[in-house]
Amino acid sequence: MRDRAAPPREAPGKWQSLGLTVAVHLGLFLFLFFGIRWQSAPPAALEVGLVSAPTVATPAPKPEPRPAPKPEPKPEPKPEPPAPKPEPKPEPKPEPRPEPPKPAPTPKPEIATKAPEKKPEPPKPAPKPEPKKPEPKPEPKPEPKPAPKPAPKPQAKPEPKPKPVQDDYMKQLLAKETQAAQDARLEGMLRQEAARAGAQGDMDKYKLAIATKVRGKLLRPPGLTGNPEATFEVDQLPSGEVLDVRLKRSSGVPTLDEAIRRAILGSSPLPLPASPALFQRTLELKFRPLAED
Amino acid sequence: MTVTHDLSILSLISQASVLVQLVMALLATLSLVSWYWIFRKWFQIRAARTQTDEFERDFWSGGDLNTLFDAAARHEAGGMERIFEAGYREYTKLRAKGHDHSAILDGARRAMRATYQREVDDLEAHLAFLASVGSVSPYIGLLGTVWGIMNSFRGLSSVGAATLAQVAPGIAEALVATAIGLFAAIPAVVAYNRFAHDIDRLGIRFESFIEEFSNILQRNLR
Repeated sequence: MRDRAAPPREAPGKWQSLGLTVAVHLGLFLFLFFGIRWQSAPPAALEVGLVSAPTVATPAPKPEPRPAPKPEPKPEPKPEPPAPKPEPKPEPKPEPRPEPPKPAPTPKPEIATKAPEKKPEPPKPAPKPEPKKPEPKPEPKPEPKPAPKPAPKPQAKPEPKPKPVQDDYMKQLLAKETQAAQDARLEGMLRQEAARAGAQGDMDKYKLAIATKVRGKLLRPPGLTGNPEATFEVDQLPSGEVLDVRLKRSSGVPTLDEAIRRAILGSSPLPLPASPALFQRTLELKFRPLAED
Repeated sequence: MTVTHDLSILSLISQASVLVQLVMALLATLSLVSWYWIFRKWFQIRAARTQTDEFERDFWSGGDLNTLFDAAARHEAGGMERIFEAGYREYTKLRAKGHDHSAILDGARRAMRATYQREVDDLEAHLAFLASVGSVSPYIGLLGTVWGIMNSFRGLSSVGAATLAQVAPGIAEALVATAIGLFAAIPAVVAYNRFAHDIDRLGIRFESFIEEFSNILQRNLR
């Protein structure tokens, strides 16, 4: 006789739930495995990207130099892709080095050709870039020219980041190219300045000539101290004859102003500049008659 | 630290650090067990509900209490049926011994109470496990993730030029732990809430049945 209710029977669906549990987990795992596209193939594309990145950066200025860097890197990275990272490092470096000795003589002319393209004034840019771009550039150039410019770019841009190693190489290349461009620009500026300086020199001589002539005619009023400066505007004829003298800024001493004015009038005709281009109908002259020099 | 771009789920798991792998294994086990209990509880509660429905229908359709009792003893009974069985058995026994009415009723009630508690306890078994899985497994997953990220950053410090590609796989590995933890936790929490609610309702039905059946027994005593 049972005093107690029957003990709870075996819970239903033991095996059923076991099977369902396994099914749920299997389903999840399969979903994770197949359903989600894990990034497993792309590494190859990544490598290509790094190589071309520099070319993208400097597209406009140098048409020729670009092809060189691209062709080399591409061939290497593509075959490699299956083996992701470790390989890329060793390969890029070793290749460039062996090559340099052969091309050594040739590279220079090429560089020279580049330079002219960048800037009209050829001689200077050429020499400078050479010393700075030691190995990397010369190597790539010889091989590359046949190479495919258009193709690399599209691939290249998307994945620049991933490869640190190649990145360094690219950075070097980039740095050299930008350096060269900067040098060329600098030189251009220098030359312009030189030209301006030459003109300036002639102008200075012209003014000095006028000043010495005027100073020779100047009768200095007595009792002046310090270094007063007066500015005059002088109208002259092409022959140098003075038409008019106007006081623009007084030296503060009326007698000195008047003396200078008379001296300018007295030194007509004024000396003419070395080049007629510098001639001006109206001159602005500053006088410091008391200065020692 | 080697950086791999093979981010398939298998390589993510196999390349994780040992602790992270342990965490993942623990979480996978927890997930398996909790899902097992989710299904079992689901079946059990569903069965209990249908059995209760059937018994209530039989009971209130006005059948004889003795035939109901015999039927309950014969076939596999549900929770409410067993409560009825226990109460009615106690009632008949006490009545046969000639106790007074209130003693008979009290005895029957006590028997039904005891069975009721046993039934509810049976239904609630392992629900606490679901609750703990639901609340703890996210933390376990988080531990694995934090550890994995710590490792991947430590590895990063030894590399000169740091890129995202060097940290990303490590972090992805580490995050797998959190994902597994969440996968274990979410169903457990949902199931726990659902089951607790269902069991509450069943318990209320059992209790009301106890009261009503006590009334019927009291009426029978007169």
